Amino acid sequence: MSALIADHLLSWMIAVPFLGMVAIALVRERTAVLSATLATTLINAGFALYLWTNFDYVETGMQFVERVDWMPTFGIQYAVGIDGISLLLVLLTTFLPPLCVLGSWESITTRLKAFMMLILLVEGAMMVVFTALDAFLFFMLWEVTMIPMYFMIVLWGGPDRVAAGLKYVIYSLAGSLLLLIGILGLSLQAGTFDIAMLAEHAYSPQSQSWIFLALFLGFAIKLPMLPFHTWLPDAHSEAPTAGSVLLAGVLLKMGGYGFVRFCLPIFPEVAHNVAPVVLWVSVTGILYGGYMALAQNDLKRLVAYSSVSHMGFVTLGIFSFNNEGIEGAILQMVTHGLTTGAMFLIVGQLYDRTHSRSMADYGGLHQRMPRFVAILSLFAVASFGLPATSNFIGEFLILVGVSYENFIFVVLAMGGIVLGAAYMLWMLQRVALGQPRTEAARNLKDLDFREMLTVTPLAVAVIFVGVYPGPMLEAMDASVTYVVTQLASVP
Amino acid sequence: MSIYTLIPLLPLAAAFVLAIFGRRLQGAGHRLVVPAVAISFFVSVAAFFDVSANGAREIELYRFLDVGGLTVDLGFYLDQLTVLVLLLVTGVGTIVQVYSSRYMIGDRRHSRFFGLTALFTAAMTMLVMSSNLLMTFIFWEVMGICSYLLISHYGERPSAASAATKVFLVNSVADLGLFVGVILTFRTFGTLNIPEILELAQAGGDIPAHIVTLLTLCLFSGAVGKSAQMPAHVWLPFAMEAPTPVSALIHAATMVNAGPFLLVRLSPVIVLSPTAMTVIATVGAATALFAALVSLTQTDIKRTLAYSTISQLGFMTMLCGVGAFVAAIFHLIAHGFFKAFMFLSTGNVLAATHRHFETTEKAPPRAMGSLFAGAFILSVVPPLVIFSGAYQHLWLSQSFAPASVVLWIVGLGTVFFTAMSIFDSISSVFNDGPPGAGDDKPRVVPSLLSPQHIFGIAVASIVLIGIMLSVWRWFVAFLSPAVGGTVSAATPGFSAWLLVPVAVAAAGWAVAYIRRNRPHAHGAAPWRKRLYVFLLNKGYFDEIYDVFIVRPTLGFANWAWRTIDQGIVDRLVVSLGSMSIGIARQLAHVDRLVDHIVVSVGSVSTGIARRLGYLDRAVDQRVVSVGTGSVRTARWLGKFVDTAGINKTVEGLGRGVEASGHAARRYEPRTLQHNLLVIVFWLIAALGFFYWIAR
Repeated sequence: MSALIADHLLSWMIAVPFLGMVAIALVRERTAVLSATLATTLINAGFALYLWTNFDYVETGMQFVERVDWMPTFGIQYAVGIDGISLLLVLLTTFLPPLCVLGSWESITTRLKAFMMLILLVEGAMMVVFTALDAFLFFMLWEVTMIPMYFMIVLWGGPDRVAAGLKYVIYSLAGSLLLLIGILGLSLQAGTFDIAMLAEHAYSPQSQSWIFLALFLGFAIKLPMLPFHTWLPDAHSEAPTAGSVLLAGVLLKMGGYGFVRFCLPIFPEVAHNVAPVVLWVSVTGILYGGYMALAQNDLKRLVAYSSVSHMGFVTLGIFSFNNEGIEGAILQMVTHGLTTGAMFLIVGQLYDRTHSRSMADYGGLHQRMPRFVAILSLFAVASFGLPATSNFIGEFLILVGVSYENFIFVVLAMGGIVLGAAYMLWMLQRVALGQPRTEAARNLKDLDFREMLTVTPLAVAVIFVGVYPGPMLEAMDASVTYVVTQLASVP
Repeated sequence: MSIYTLIPLLPLAAAFVLAIFGRRLQGAGHRLVVPAVAISFFVSVAAFFDVSANGAREIELYRFLDVGGLTVDLGFYLDQLTVLVLLLVTGVGTIVQVYSSRYMIGDRRHSRFFGLTALFTAAMTMLVMSSNLLMTFIFWEVMGICSYLLISHYGERPSAASAATKVFLVNSVADLGLFVGVILTFRTFGTLNIPEILELAQAGGDIPAHIVTLLTLCLFSGAVGKSAQMPAHVWLPFAMEAPTPVSALIHAATMVNAGPFLLVRLSPVIVLSPTAMTVIATVGAATALFAALVSLTQTDIKRTLAYSTISQLGFMTMLCGVGAFVAAIFHLIAHGFFKAFMFLSTGNVLAATHRHFETTEKAPPRAMGSLFAGAFILSVVPPLVIFSGAYQHLWLSQSFAPASVVLWIVGLGTVFFTAMSIFDSISSVFNDGPPGAGDDKPRVVPSLLSPQHIFGIAVASIVLIGIMLSVWRWFVAFLSPAVGGTVSAATPGFSAWLLVPVAVAAAGWAVAYIRRNRPHAHGAAPWRKRLYVFLLNKGYFDEIYDVFIVRPTLGFANWAWRTIDQGIVDRLVVSLGSMSIGIARQLAHVDRLVDHIVVSVGSVSTGIARRLGYLDRAVDQRVVSVGTGSVRTARWLGKFVDTAGINKTVEGLGRGVEASGHAARRYEPRTLQHNLLVIVFWLIAALGFFYWIAR
């Protein structure tokens, strides 16, 4: 690869989606728009693989760094770079959009061009969020991700789309407001927006807990943590398939990424102080999300509540402050992106056929749709963390990590896994097994080639990570160890 | 990489191919799976000879996890225990696959069935060979999901669909314990490598007693689930919804054997905790006896077999609990082969009987007679096979002497009832006419008292006892390096104790036989009259059996089945499920309620704001009225600045908010303000709380 690309790889990966937006603005035909978007996302996925192969596993600091002064008066830079943690999330961010495009190939009938542009906009903005080394850049693109998602929900969503969109925006705005306060609080004292330098500054003791709190709540709303989760089921269930996939697959991960990137390295003492509360809230979230999911009749809502449960695992791992926990949490974020993204894709494929998300309208699908049921079963069991699938690795590591804190968390969190098995299998029983309950369910066609193509990469990834998680863990090991040693240096 | 990796890899590869090309290979799955499993069996035989010649060996595969202090290397650990169980798994697996290649002809989901059974077998071999506890757990669960998918093979039947879910859920609750146990093991020993754990445990070390007890009980909880011990035994009868070969696989080769295997595998750890051992023995004994009793009341032959499996598993568990690990494995292997045969011949018998009923043929086909004889011998053989070795050992385990007497009695009871129920169920297939046919004539004469049969059985028994005794001696010597505790390799000569279980088994069979024949005793056939006279001579026994043993036994068993199994245990699981759903619904209400409260707080504050607006206006009016008596400037000020300016601004603001509220309300039922307020409410609450904490 030529030096021009290789030296500015991250900038290219950020630019490609935006260039793609321009490109599809110029074409008119439907297939041309779709294939141009697909090509753009695939190019970025290719770049991501190149990035992965050239990534140095031993290096603890940032790699592929690029810095340009942007607003020198305020010390704001365009600075991007990745470490192992970013790498995994960048891989996830580039992996899902091609599948989103494939998944909405036929289901999006109106304003197709706009929809595809929004997908690319999300991808581009997420790329910046996960690679930014400058807090201002981070915040700005964090805000940008909200907008395309709002329009996706409001313009292409389900029956209650306006309400869901509003709820989403309001929660997100509240979160980013707090985040803004937090970031300003940091940089006003430290006099810089560089994230690495922010972590080195010694903040005044009385301001520490306030700034931590603002950042924490900003991330917690995005993740979402327990009391702030109510936007999620609405937004997920009303969004179009691609929107749900991006929302659950990538956008939620910004919260967890923020914890690891900001909260832990900058305020280790405060993090230690609040950890017990966060752990208890996480465990409550795991169980609560599980119970909620058990009560759902709507397929997408079930998956959405299961996300609440899974995100509880993420915070549980992050706030156990050890390698096992944090690596497990990051892996859990990635694998949750795979399985939940896949769940939304496959539920979307069902929705495309019948326009119903209610489990009561299905039943007996395995007679007419064996391939669909096979794929659905795979992701359902992967979602509750069946061993030998990807989510198990993350959950296992998180549980090992949190066992150093208190064993009670292990036992309680496992209750969430059993609940997960219960709601997923019950869902399978009602949707896939038995006899069809409606005429529509009796005359369904099995997945076609395109639909199989959409979910197969995810299936392969889920199994591969499940049986061979080594590369993923190795990639982030050095970076996480660095974070953990910083945390451990606190008295 | 060693050749032995082929043992799990071949079935796994077959499953993989069928998963991808299943549709194209429809109807040809067995051509792939049968050779794969058969070759695995031959490789297992090679492994057996290798290990018996060269001792245990470890094969490393790859590094699975390396995070912080946690390192997990996947690999295989082949020792005496592993190769013996491997022979069982792949041997029975091959037989079952061959059988099902006929049985499943024309099935709609042919490829799915063979793919899953191959995966099932592969998972069991992986579990057996695993050198790492995490790997054991992984394949433990993979087996669980395979069983789920196989039980839902006829998923269009609602009973199969719900049975599959129940089976998996009962197992997953029990597996929680195992999962906790795995993590606890890591935290206790600092490693998950099985050979290392065993070494550490044998070295003793300074592990606190309560930790070991907890650890062992956690691991045992997994065994309780997979091996259908009380109170998790309810799943095994449900598993009968699967096609019959799957039952053979579950009962004989895979799945249920995992429990005793795990206990024996980790026996050096288990023996460290006498408390846990006692619990294990008690659960095993209770299960053994209970299941044997329940199996008496069952009329469905497959269900009888299920309960008999539970009972036998309980026995194995009990043996583990009293430290007779070698005997447990002996029992496991013997039972595996025996049960596979039972299931497969049951499948044949049921098919044959079914055909027979359809053709309304009067005379029973010859094949059925021989099948019956075979099945009958088998019903007597297992106690022989099983207890020749086991009892010797049980009796010799001195350390648990007082407990072992109780367990002895329980064990003998189990033998008795098992013999009875097996006889009962098999003879009922032949003896009774088709349901509703109305004739009480036996369809097939159970000519068991004919001299040939008695002679044959006696000879077979004696030969078997002889074989067992010699095999047992070799078996103890072979297996003892692989198990923990003090294995008394005392040479078991022919002892009188051996006759006790045999006699009890025979008694059980006799009771069942008498009970079955008594109602027909007034029947027509001359041999029956002879039999009647013959029985009359021993009639007292008959009466005594009937009044003191059979009826109370049946009554109790019936009661136990209805009240405890169905009424309490089953309902408990179901009600736990429905309770969870209920709680979930209630919580959903609470969720909504919180929403409502926040909304009402919002509307109250809007109300207050409106009231304040009125107040403002009232104050205004007073100001204005005061102003009228005042100078013009004041009037002008009052009129233009206050009323028109501020008031209008306030009012305008209010109207604006209201208007936007209405506008938002038009778009959505739960208004904008409400959402804002929800957030503000939570944020304020959280801010206060966190500040308090973070301070």
